Amino acid sequence: MTDASPTPKRSSDSTGEDTLQVSTVERLCADIEANVSRVIVGHDEVIEHVITAVLGRGHVLLDDVPGVGKTMLARAIARSVDCTFSRVQFTPDLLPSDVTGVNVFNQKTREFDFQSGPIFGNIVLGDEINRAPPKTQAALLEAMEEGQVTTDGTTRDLPTPFTVIATQNAVEPNRTYDLPFAELDRFMKKLHLGYPDPDEEAELLGRTVGDHPIESLESVTDRETLVAARETVSRVQVAEPVRKYATRLAAYTRENAHIGVSPRGTISLLRAAQARAVANGRDYVIPDDLQVEAPVVMSHRIKTTGHDRDGASVVENALEHVAVE
Amino acid sequence: MSTKSSSHAGDRTVSLNAEGTVSADAVRLLALGCVLVLTASYVSVLYGITQVVGGSGSLFALVGLMLLAATVLARLIRPRTAGLLALTAAGLGFAYYLTSAGVEPGVVLTGTNAIVSDTVALATGLPVLRMVQAGVWTLGFAPAPVFLSWYLAIRGRYGLSVVPGGAALGFLVLTGDAGTLVTLTGTLAAVGAVAGGELERRGGSIAQADLLAVLFAVIVALSLSVTIVPGEPAGPTHLVQGDSGTLEATIDSAPQRSGISGQVDLSPEVRFTVESDRPSYWRTGVYDRFTGDEWVRTGQDRRYDGRLADPPSSSGTVRQTVTAETELGIMPVAPQPLALDGDVTRATTVSRHDQPRPETPLQEGDSYAVESAVVDPDPDALRIAGTSYPDEVTDHYLQTPEDTSSEFRERTDEITADADTPHGTAVAIRDHLRSSKGYSLDVSQPAGNVAEGFLLEMDEGYCVYFATTMTQMLREAGVPARYVTGYTTGQQVDDGEYVVRGLDAHSWVEVYFPGHGWVQFDPTPGSSRADVHTDRLQEARENGTEGVDTEDSEDVPIGDESDPVDPPASDPDDSNEPPSDDPTDETDPSDDPDDGSDPDDSNNGTDPGDSGDGTGGEATGNDDSLTDRLVAIGHETAALGLVLLVGLAAGARRTDATTRLGRTVGVYWHGFRGEPDRDARRAFRRLERLFARQYRPRRPSESPRSYLQAISKTAAAEESLDPRAERVLEHYERATYGDGVGRAEADEAIEIVDELARSRLPVVGRLR
Repeated sequence: MTDASPTPKRSSDSTGEDTLQVSTVERLCADIEANVSRVIVGHDEVIEHVITAVLGRGHVLLDDVPGVGKTMLARAIARSVDCTFSRVQFTPDLLPSDVTGVNVFNQKTREFDFQSGPIFGNIVLGDEINRAPPKTQAALLEAMEEGQVTTDGTTRDLPTPFTVIATQNAVEPNRTYDLPFAELDRFMKKLHLGYPDPDEEAELLGRTVGDHPIESLESVTDRETLVAARETVSRVQVAEPVRKYATRLAAYTRENAHIGVSPRGTISLLRAAQARAVANGRDYVIPDDLQVEAPVVMSHRIKTTGHDRDGASVVENALEHVAVE
Repeated sequence: MSTKSSSHAGDRTVSLNAEGTVSADAVRLLALGCVLVLTASYVSVLYGITQVVGGSGSLFALVGLMLLAATVLARLIRPRTAGLLALTAAGLGFAYYLTSAGVEPGVVLTGTNAIVSDTVALATGLPVLRMVQAGVWTLGFAPAPVFLSWYLAIRGRYGLSVVPGGAALGFLVLTGDAGTLVTLTGTLAAVGAVAGGELERRGGSIAQADLLAVLFAVIVALSLSVTIVPGEPAGPTHLVQGDSGTLEATIDSAPQRSGISGQVDLSPEVRFTVESDRPSYWRTGVYDRFTGDEWVRTGQDRRYDGRLADPPSSSGTVRQTVTAETELGIMPVAPQPLALDGDVTRATTVSRHDQPRPETPLQEGDSYAVESAVVDPDPDALRIAGTSYPDEVTDHYLQTPEDTSSEFRERTDEITADADTPHGTAVAIRDHLRSSKGYSLDVSQPAGNVAEGFLLEMDEGYCVYFATTMTQMLREAGVPARYVTGYTTGQQVDDGEYVVRGLDAHSWVEVYFPGHGWVQFDPTPGSSRADVHTDRLQEARENGTEGVDTEDSEDVPIGDESDPVDPPASDPDDSNEPPSDDPTDETDPSDDPDDGSDPDDSNNGTDPGDSGDGTGGEATGNDDSLTDRLVAIGHETAALGLVLLVGLAAGARRTDATTRLGRTVGVYWHGFRGEPDRDARRAFRRLERLFARQYRPRRPSESPRSYLQAISKTAAAEESLDPRAERVLEHYERATYGDGVGRAEADEAIEIVDELARSRLPVVGRLR
């Protein structure tokens, strides 16, 4: 990582917004991935998913048992990009204002000053989000959806880029507040890390001897580059056959589950696929992009009635049965 | 491969949703068109009848009116009412027919038996043309099915609408009036209508009509290989033993009709012998209705009950005894017969024209006696006979086909311009035909109206042509006339004994004169006919053909055969000079050779010039008919071939055979280059097909890229997948999902696939 800070070429197009060339973004993704891999052993796919989610203007929910590196992954991503990072540890007694910030009376000026909460960051880590009561969860989720926060009648925009990486614990279900189905929809992807395999774990142990590598992790890009990269991703071409394929997939889930993928889910799928296309060096989406993204983008948006099936299996069936074109 | 078909299916459903209404309209039009064609098929048969007997205008007006009424009423009245209306229309039509046929309408209600037996007679092969009031029957028959079927079709009940139309057509098939082609067309239309209705009902699309095309082709092919339509018997049933193609076989092809054909032969075999006081023509059939290419006898036959109608006047009677020398389905008598005697008369029927006929063929040796009135009036008497014909005569013996051309009429007027009496007209026509047309058996039948063809175009013909043309010309000129068939006098072997052979078969004309009845006229030039016939007999004798002679006739010179042309009975002036049969005293040039009915004549007949002409005529005749036949076969075969081809094409479409073939070929040949994007896509499709054959086809849910990855994994075991396939895929993806490819990329993709395909060709691939 000697050339960890590339000086990206920037180009301007008609809209005046900065965009990057696809190859540049592709390399950027590779850099971030390599950087994060220094901390996270294995889980290359999950790392890629997180990166594409960030590029696709989505938020990520990491759902797993404790201790597999959820928080570490989020921190590694945040550190790889030179931007503001904040972290909220959700606990049962956390209040919404602890997330969004409060107006504090300034004795000197005799005015109320806004003390911004941790949500005002480019990358926000919401740790163990399911430990907080729904009211507090809602404050975060509203901010995620709207990109702004309203406190005491004043609306404040959140910084750009704004990405939430939330983690949730799959254990101790009686001490948690499950995220409502409707709010799960706001996460672009729900990812599972899983345990590393023995070889990876051995390597992991080797790396943690001495200083934890997260402390020495350097950023490989900055905020401006990230914004431009996101702009590039948003312009990736989605041809009609691909759009139709996406709608067919969604339609399949709607027909084969109690609640299928919402149009917001389909939009998320396409955005993720756009980021995936760029990560693979293409400026157009191919069905494979959708097929890679569909399981993580769609599964948590599907509600099934039967006990034998879950969202993931519905998506699996959809990919198996829906014709590509 | 599978992708293609699945995308097809997708397209189809999409287009169905989008164009459902358009498709339904097309299906509806198809079904309505088919009902119309079905209607047209049986109306065309009826039109053929009215063409002969008159009333085409009324028929079309009636059919048009019914269609209009059905269209209007379709939205106004309920099916039950419509059914009642149709029944009423049928009842009215039937009653009208019976009334005009001279039956009281009350009989309709009481005499059910008669109606049933009539219907059975029609349905068992009695042609409509044989009905005395065929025109009226047609007008009575048409309205009900036309109205009902169109009414139902307009209401969308296509299946049901085929029932009345199909019943009407079926009835005409049973009567034998509907030919194969009409029946086939009607049947196809009926199938089409039912299919159209089904398609509409089940929401099918017009694209599924290809199944219909397959069905049609099968029907056509089957119907041409299995002919069971009664209207077209496989071959004519000969009433007289003999080969088909002989003159008598043509004349007496069926009990109720007398055909006209082209070239005929003469059979030299002896048919019967007659012992008679006077020589005469021996009549075997009388026909009153001319269809343009054949003669039909109308009316029902009745059992012989001991006496036949007397002619208005006669100059005495003649008694004959006829002995059959072979199996004989006819009963020759000298006109006009008054009474029959003998065993066979117990099973004899008599036509409406007083012509007897045995119910079962006479066997060799059967004999019967006939008493005939000699109707042989003085020409002067005929000249003053006037024109006050009974209605019954003018009703039936002035019929000409409706489509007779004005040219025929004008020519007739021209020829009869100087004649001021019916007798003068008849003589003028006879003389004109005798002098202007030659005698030959080697002619090809003209298309259309035979009388017209003979008068206006042909130069020679035989008795059938002469007699037919004269009858029609007389009718055109307003003189009632009829066409009769039979045999000429035959060879006189002894005093008052005549041997009649197949080659004596003849046809002539009978003209009606008020106060006298039916008088014979023979327009056929006598001498040349005698020559041809004598030659034939001599030839047969030389060849030693059996059955040519009786014990008596062998020793008698042929020349003694008393003039076969002229019925001596009708010669009023010189009973000892048989040839001049003319009721008039004029002796026209053509009569002269008749005088020489002695051995000299037969010598004349064999002169080189004549025979040369004869052979020449024969040759050309043969050529013509061969060409005609070839052309006819060509047309039929072409039509059949076309139908089968359409069926095959539709079947191929149905089974996707063409697509499959196209794909197979497409693997090796890209086809014409088009847009780069299209070419790139096509190149990948070809690659896909290539791999599908080698590894496995792509699953519909598999993306091109994952397919390639999957098979490259399986391929790695055997031989690694060509890395260039990846390039093709990239170009394909860019063309399909990206912003397109350039010419160079497309060409590269095509080239790679071409090469891969070639290396995998079964033969070429091995050689490399």
